[in-house]
Amino acid sequence: MQRIKIGGKGEKVRLGGLLLRLVLIWLIVAFVIYPNANLLISVFYKKGEFSTEVFGKVIHSARAVKSLKNSFILAVSMVFTVNLVGTLIVLFTEYWEIKGAKLLKMGYMTSLVYSGVVLVTGYKFIYGANGILTRLLRMVMPGLDANWFTGFPAVIFIMTFACTSNHAVFLTNAVQGLDYHVIEAAKNMGASGRKIFFKVVLPTLKPTFFAITILTFLTGLGAMSAPLIVGGPDFQTINPMIITFAKSPYSREVAALLAVLLGLATILLLAILTKVEKGGNYVSVSKTKAKLTKQKISNPVANVLAHVVAYLLFFIYMAPVCLIVLYSFSDSLAIKSGNISFSNLSLENYSALFTRAGAFRPYLISFCYSLAAAVLVSVIAIAVARIVHKSKSKFNLFFEYGVLIPWLLPSTLIALGLMVTYDMPRLIMGNQVLIGTVVLLLLAYVIVKLPFSFRMIKAAFYSIEGSLEEAAKCMGAGTLYTMVRVVIPVIMPVVLSVIVLNFNNLLADYDLTVFLYHPLYQPLGVVIKAASDETATANAQAMAFVYSVILMAISGVALFLTQGDGVKTLKKRFKRAR
Amino acid sequence: MIDFKNIEIKYGDFIAIKDLNLSVNEGEFFTFLGPSGCGKTTILRALVGFINPSRGQIVVNGKDITHEAVENRAIGMVFQSYALFPTMTVYENIAFGLKVKKLPKEEVRRKVYEVAKKIEINEMQLERNVAELSGGQQQRVALARAIVLEPNILCLDEPLSNLDAKLRVGLRGELKRLQRDLGITTLYVTHDQEEALTLSDRIAVFNNGFIEQVGTPYEIYNYSASEFVCDFIGDINCLHGGMIRAVNEQQHCGLDEHKEAFIRIERFHQTPERGSVKLTGVVKDYEYNGVLTKYNVEVLGQTVKYIRMNDGSAFREPETIIDLYMNPQDIMQFS
Repeated sequence: MQRIKIGGKGEKVRLGGLLLRLVLIWLIVAFVIYPNANLLISVFYKKGEFSTEVFGKVIHSARAVKSLKNSFILAVSMVFTVNLVGTLIVLFTEYWEIKGAKLLKMGYMTSLVYSGVVLVTGYKFIYGANGILTRLLRMVMPGLDANWFTGFPAVIFIMTFACTSNHAVFLTNAVQGLDYHVIEAAKNMGASGRKIFFKVVLPTLKPTFFAITILTFLTGLGAMSAPLIVGGPDFQTINPMIITFAKSPYSREVAALLAVLLGLATILLLAILTKVEKGGNYVSVSKTKAKLTKQKISNPVANVLAHVVAYLLFFIYMAPVCLIVLYSFSDSLAIKSGNISFSNLSLENYSALFTRAGAFRPYLISFCYSLAAAVLVSVIAIAVARIVHKSKSKFNLFFEYGVLIPWLLPSTLIALGLMVTYDMPRLIMGNQVLIGTVVLLLLAYVIVKLPFSFRMIKAAFYSIEGSLEEAAKCMGAGTLYTMVRVVIPVIMPVVLSVIVLNFNNLLADYDLTVFLYHPLYQPLGVVIKAASDETATANAQAMAFVYSVILMAISGVALFLTQGDGVKTLKKRFKRAR
Repeated sequence: MIDFKNIEIKYGDFIAIKDLNLSVNEGEFFTFLGPSGCGKTTILRALVGFINPSRGQIVVNGKDITHEAVENRAIGMVFQSYALFPTMTVYENIAFGLKVKKLPKEEVRRKVYEVAKKIEINEMQLERNVAELSGGQQQRVALARAIVLEPNILCLDEPLSNLDAKLRVGLRGELKRLQRDLGITTLYVTHDQEEALTLSDRIAVFNNGFIEQVGTPYEIYNYSASEFVCDFIGDINCLHGGMIRAVNEQQHCGLDEHKEAFIRIERFHQTPERGSVKLTGVVKDYEYNGVLTKYNVEVLGQTVKYIRMNDGSAFREPETIIDLYMNPQDIMQFS
C-alpha cells in the first residue's frame, strides 16, 4: 500500500488513512462548522454587509425579551432548588443512616430512567387539570383552579425533580469516594457531626457541586419540554420561543439570534467550569482509603424530620412513575376522567401497540433513527479517536476539536443551523437539499452525540496498553488485522455502552427532533408531546403512557447494562446457572 | 548474527543512543544491562522495528533490516507487561501469530500444544482467559507466544520484573534452560545485575546512551572497564587518598593516590593471605540478613563495607576493633 507523508515529523499514512481523513474533514466541515457559521452569517450579514438589525428585532419583541428573562430566572432558581433536593437525596441514601435507604434510592433514581418530554408529560397527567392529585387537592380545597399547575411554579417544580440525575450519579460517586479515615480523624479530634459535615465533608465535594451547578444552570437556560408543556402563555423560555419563531421565515433570524445567545452562554459557562476544575486538590491523599460508614443523626428531632423529608421526596419522585404505569393499563375514558379503578385496567393498550400499525409506527421510527444514529456516531468516533490517539501531527487537533464543537452548542442551535443551511442546494452537499428528507434528523442525532461518544471512545483507546499492538505486529499482524482482532475487541465494551446510552437517549428525544423530523415519520418524542396537549384524543394519551412505560423499561435495562456491575452480575448468574 | 553499526536514535532533540556499535553472535544469550533511561530498551525496540534509528544500520545475518517493517522481521518479543491480548484465551494468544501466517488449523493446534508442553502450560490452562492466570503463568504464555513462531531472534524486555523475588529466581533458571534447548539468539534487557550475571553469555553495560563495556559476566564483574561499570555491578568500596597511601606503603604497588580506587566488598578478609595488606578499623554498625552480615567499618577516617558469612560466630559489636586484609591486585583504578 502506498504511504504518504503527512503532518508531523516523518509521519506517514497509508492511502486508505488519507481517504478516511478526507471523509472526516468533509463530515466535520459540512455538518458541524459550515451550518453554524452560516447561521451566524444569516443573522449578522444582510445584503453583503454586517448588520445588527436583528438585535433591534429581539429587543422590540416583548415575547423574545421575556423568554430571555424567564430563562435566566429559571436557571438561577434551579441552582438553588436542584442543589437542595439533589444534595438531600444523596445524603439520605449515602451519608446519613435513614431507614429504608435502599428503597428510597430506587425512587430517587427514577429520574435516570425517564426524562425530557416523557417526564414532563407524566407530571402533567398527575398535577394537570384532570390529574389524580389535582382532583384530590380540589376535594380538600374546592376553590382551587383546575389549571393551578401551570407557569413558573409548575416549571420549577418539574425541573427540580427532573434535574437531580446529575446529583444521583456524580454526587453519589463523590460521597461514596469519601475517605472514612478522614471523618474518623475529625471525630478523633473531637469534632461534632455537624462540624465534620460542614468543615470536612462538604469542602471535599466542592468541585462536584460546582460542576453540577453549572450543568444545572445550563439545563435551566436550555429548558424545553417543561416550559412548553406546563409553562403556559406567561412562562415561556428561550427554547420554546425558538421553536415558535423558527416556524415563520420572517422571525427565523430572531430564533437564530436567541439560539446564538444560548450558545454563547453555554460556551462561557463551560469555560468557567474547565478553569475551576483545573485548580485545587480535593482528592484524598490517603495511601489506604476506608469505605464510608453511614452517619447516625444524633438529634432525635432532626432524625425524625430527615425521615419525613426523605419519604416525602420519595413520594414526589415515585408518584408520576407509578401513575404512568397504572394509566398505561387503563382505558381511554378513565384517563380522560382521571378515575381509575381495578375494573378498567387491562392489557388492551399494550396489545394495541403491537397489533395496530399506527400505534407501533412511532416506536419503529424512533427505534430505527436511534439505532442508526448510535451505531453511526460510534463508527465516526472510533475513526477520529484512532487518528487522535495514534498520530502526533498537530493537524489532527482539527479532528479532535471538530467533533467536540457540538458539546458547546445547544441542540436548538445545531438544528437551526442545519435548517437554515440545507434548505437550498449547497455545493458541499452535492447540491442536495436536505430539508424535507429523512436523513436530516439522523445527521442531527449523530452531530449531537459526537462529543460524548468521542470522549468515551478516546478514553478507551488511551487505556489500551501500547504494547498490545506492538505484540501483534511482532507476530506479523498488519494494521487492519491488529485493529480488528486486538484493538476493537478490547474497546468493544465501551463502544457497546456508548451505543446503548446514545440509543436510549435519542429514543424519546424532543428538543432536536421537533425542528427536523419528517412530517410523515413522526418519532416518539413528538407523538408523546402531542398526547400531552389538551386537544389530544384519549386514545393518543393512553398510547403515550404505554410508550412511556416501555421507554422507562428500556432505559432501566440500558442503565443496568452500562452502569455499575450489571453485566458482571448477569455473567455470574449465568455461570452459576450452568 | 546481529550487527548494530553506528546507530544513533533521537527523541526530538534528545539523543538516546549515540554511535552504538555492537555484534551479537548466533545462539548467544546477550543482555543489555543498565539503569533506567540508559537506552537499553530503546536499542532493543530499534532491533524489533518499533523505533527507526536516525543514523546507522541494523544488520541481521548479513541483511540490512534497519527500515524493514516490524511484521517482516521474524523477531519474537516478550514485553515487560507481557502484552497478552485480554479478550483472548491462552490458546488464542499463542495461536495468534500462527493464524496471521494463515497456517492450517491442525498445524496451529499442533504447534500450540507443542510449545505449551515445553513451557509447562497444561491443557486446562490453554482454555482459560489470560486474565485468570497468575503473574508467573502469564509470563509463560508471553514467552510461549513469542517462541511458537520460531523466530530467529528472541527479545525479552525486563520479562521478570513484575514477578515476586522467589518466582523470579525460579523462572530465571527455566528461561536459561529453554534458551539453551532452543538455541535461539536471545537479547535480554534488564536493570537487575544479578539476573544479568546469572543468565547471560555476554553482557553490554549501558550508560547514558553509550555502551560502557561488553564482556562475559566474569569479565564484567572482575575486570570492570570503567568506574560506572564497577559501581553499577555488585557492591564496592571506594578508597580515597589516605587508604591508598597505606596500601602503597605496605606493598609498593604504585596506586595513584590522587585518584579514587575501588575494591569489591567481599575482597576484604579477616585472615591474612600472601601479599595482602593489613588495615585496622572500628566497627560502626552492621546489617544481618541470615546468610551473611554486612559491617560498616571505619578505617583511616573512611567507612568501608565488609561482609562475613554466617558461620555461627558472634557479631562484631559496634566500637570493636578489627583487622581487615586485602590483596592490592583486587583494587581497580580507572583512567
